[in-house]
Amino acid sequence: MFFTKKKKIPRDPAIEHLAGIVGEKSILYKKEDLLSYDCDGFTIHKAVPKAVVFPKDTAEVAAVVKYCSAHKMPFLARGAGTGLSGGAIPLNGEVIISLVKMKNLLSVDFENRQAVVQPGFVNLKLTNSIADKGYYYAPDPSSQYVCTIGGNVAENAGGAHCLKYGVTTNHILGLEVVLPDGEIIEISENGLPDAPGYDLLGLLTGSEGTLGIVTKITVRILKNPEGKQTVLAYFDDVEDGSQAVSDIISAGIVPAALEMMDKTAIEGVEAGTYPVGHPDDIEALLLIEVDGIIAGIAEQIEEIMNVCRRWNVREVKVAESEEERGRWWANRKTGFGAMGAISPDYLVQDGVIPRSKLPEVLGNIRKISEESELRIANIFHAGDGNLHPLILFDSRKPGETEKALKAGSDCLKACADAGGSITGEHGVGIEKIEEMRFIFTEGELEAQTNVRDVFNPDGLLNSGKLFPTPSRCMDVKKVM
Amino acid sequence: MVDHLRRIQIQEITLKGVDIVELNEVGGGQLVLSEKYGNTGLSVVTPKSEEEIEQILRTANEEGKKISVMGRGTKRGYGGVKQEYDLVLSLANYKGIIEHIVGDMTVTVRPGTTIAGLQEYLKKYGQMVSIDPSWPEEATIGGVIAANESGPKRLKYGAARDLVIGLRVVYADGSVIRTGGKVVKNVAGYDMNKLFIGSMGTLGVISEITMKLRPLPKFESLVLLSIDEDRLEELKAFTVKLQDSMIEPVSLELVNPSLSKKLLDREEYTLLIAFEDVEKAVRYQEEWVAANKPDAAILSNLSSDESREFWKGFSVIQPNALKENEPADHVLATVKISSKNMQVFDILEEVRRLKQGNKAELDAHGGLGHGLSFIILKGPEESVTSTIASLRVFVRTKQGFTTIKHLPFELRKKIDTWHDNPSYFFLFEGIKRKADPKNTLNYKRFIGGI
Repeated sequence: MFFTKKKKIPRDPAIEHLAGIVGEKSILYKKEDLLSYDCDGFTIHKAVPKAVVFPKDTAEVAAVVKYCSAHKMPFLARGAGTGLSGGAIPLNGEVIISLVKMKNLLSVDFENRQAVVQPGFVNLKLTNSIADKGYYYAPDPSSQYVCTIGGNVAENAGGAHCLKYGVTTNHILGLEVVLPDGEIIEISENGLPDAPGYDLLGLLTGSEGTLGIVTKITVRILKNPEGKQTVLAYFDDVEDGSQAVSDIISAGIVPAALEMMDKTAIEGVEAGTYPVGHPDDIEALLLIEVDGIIAGIAEQIEEIMNVCRRWNVREVKVAESEEERGRWWANRKTGFGAMGAISPDYLVQDGVIPRSKLPEVLGNIRKISEESELRIANIFHAGDGNLHPLILFDSRKPGETEKALKAGSDCLKACADAGGSITGEHGVGIEKIEEMRFIFTEGELEAQTNVRDVFNPDGLLNSGKLFPTPSRCMDVKKVM
Repeated sequence: MVDHLRRIQIQEITLKGVDIVELNEVGGGQLVLSEKYGNTGLSVVTPKSEEEIEQILRTANEEGKKISVMGRGTKRGYGGVKQEYDLVLSLANYKGIIEHIVGDMTVTVRPGTTIAGLQEYLKKYGQMVSIDPSWPEEATIGGVIAANESGPKRLKYGAARDLVIGLRVVYADGSVIRTGGKVVKNVAGYDMNKLFIGSMGTLGVISEITMKLRPLPKFESLVLLSIDEDRLEELKAFTVKLQDSMIEPVSLELVNPSLSKKLLDREEYTLLIAFEDVEKAVRYQEEWVAANKPDAAILSNLSSDESREFWKGFSVIQPNALKENEPADHVLATVKISSKNMQVFDILEEVRRLKQGNKAELDAHGGLGHGLSFIILKGPEESVTSTIASLRVFVRTKQGFTTIKHLPFELRKKIDTWHDNPSYFFLFEGIKRKADPKNTLNYKRFIGGI
């Protein structure tokens, strides 16, 4: 017997076909391989995909999409899977199109300040690739060392420094997109401003992978600011801290970042991987960064310190070295994960409020914490009113996951009631579908699904996300 | 002028409770609807509330009437191949601040508010809307947003899409939706604001606009660098160096010699380098420019007051459909070109080439750092149209976009004022069909006859 060929197990013809497009090494279809794709950064809801394919170029993405579309097979795109709202969860047993193999930096044009990347290119890698020339890519979500720019476009990702520099949508100049029927389109191919017609760049950015699959991205790159200085301020009273935030802004200063953490959050970050040595008895801290022309920074820092003093700051100091500044930021940026050190589980929320409502909303979140008997830590981009309440819970205790979900939803209600929004940068995904009703009427939701239907008429691409429907509403309730 | 207007009469449209006004005094200034720019109507309505807008739209939509939407009319020369609609809906009387939350640095305004009126109001609070479009005294915020207008400070300020955080929009069927919200950061649902910004009023009537604000700059200045026509390369090398430095200009606008002559009485290429920051930072940057400028360039610094005056003059160089000063045998046109930042040099050089023996005047400026150039043409019809055609050919070779922002109606019938339809034009058609299935609003005003 000289058979070296393994006997072929008959496979689902769809798998056979998809493997033909992307190659045997670029497809997962066995149950055990699919399990790690049953959720993203939102782990409360899980579903197993039909298959995961790893196309290496746009043509392969288009071929996969065409096949799925022709066979009415649901599909969705996925980057690094760091999304926090469940946007990449295959609710309908989708074929997942993972873009992690399309991870090249295609070109950088320093004179025209733009770079072209593939969607699987990691956010921080872009800055690292151009740092030697003194350039960087501004949007800096906390997960920037793993998250992909394709995912950032889908979610319209923010970050600590978007107060001054804007979020992803303000930095996207051009997109190549595979539409849900497999057609490839180029919007503003050369990254030019004001492409004629409706602003599809703006519409696609933040559409959470429901309108098309982005396969090439032209982004704006910026020159590093000449200087930056970072201030750390400790407050004995949260209210004083919030007032300081307001006064810094009304003093006409536009800080590059203006972050706040409350007592529980500080306890978490100090127990985490990057402790700074914050006192354990303060109620709030502010991390404030000013950047720009060096000659202009000192007086702004002085003004910020004066504002803090006026609001009874216990201690306020300026980072004395790049190393110290780096430690402060590492402490802040790993804040969500650090909650694992003080709680078995945590749920992060993402409300936005008008800055002036900060004390009022914080008070309401405190009440939600008391009523639910769950601790809630608050980390927020205070400068733009983007709150991240972290609800600490223990999923091993019966009923506590449900309680945490309810508390999270209540926090979003508190934000919506204060004239805010239910998400500032994490997206709606499946997590906040029902909460969309806190801020949009039926007609307003319909206006959006009308737009979706123009791009995605058969609903095969990432369906069941973003918008509540009567049937979806039932599904969510069942899970909870 | 009045003669043109006589034939615009009130038509029998049943609009319960809404006064159809004859061309009247709108907001203190005269509302001019000359036929020259098309986009007129058999009658004009100037609603004073959102309910009135709803009612007008619903009625017109039901009756199959076509509506031309406008603010005060500065941009009536921008797109459109219909001379006359059934109705002109002017938002000029629907104006004023609805809400200004000083601490949140957000403002909600009605669409008919003029840019100057809004800035004047915000100034009292040390704040501003960071947008500097043409004709601020007449252009309304609704029009600026619908047409996606920006100015020379776009380099730092961004465009309308970067500052609008929420809208209220009345659809053609009279239903009202809100898009976005009142917070500066928001990713709930699709970013529907973006659809309406720059949509030329073809999807809905914007009835309320919420924007984020910026503090007024603590100090500002303008550095002018002028250089002989034949030495543009030196200015280009300087620009590359500046862009690669850590200097943060608010504007980096290159002006061609004929426009520079009009603005500054210097018939040379002039680079306008604006700074806004605390005084020390501005001074430092002025010094950097002085130390690094090309030897042959003449430098002058304008103080805060002088630079504000200069920008005021700059804001009225483009044609405006409300003004008709040119001689009868002359045509005025504005061409907008999108290119890569540094290609602005190529475009201005092409303008220089096209000026040779041209009977039309060509004034041009372009933003290095944002890549939008504007060419203002004035002259006999034949010269203007052939120059536009040449510009278009040139821009195609650079893979840029050409839009004709201002042109008399008769010429718009002959020249497509929009860039070629993109391959994904069917998406635009789909979006329009969902929003305005009966083509009630600004029919045929936009790209591809949408």
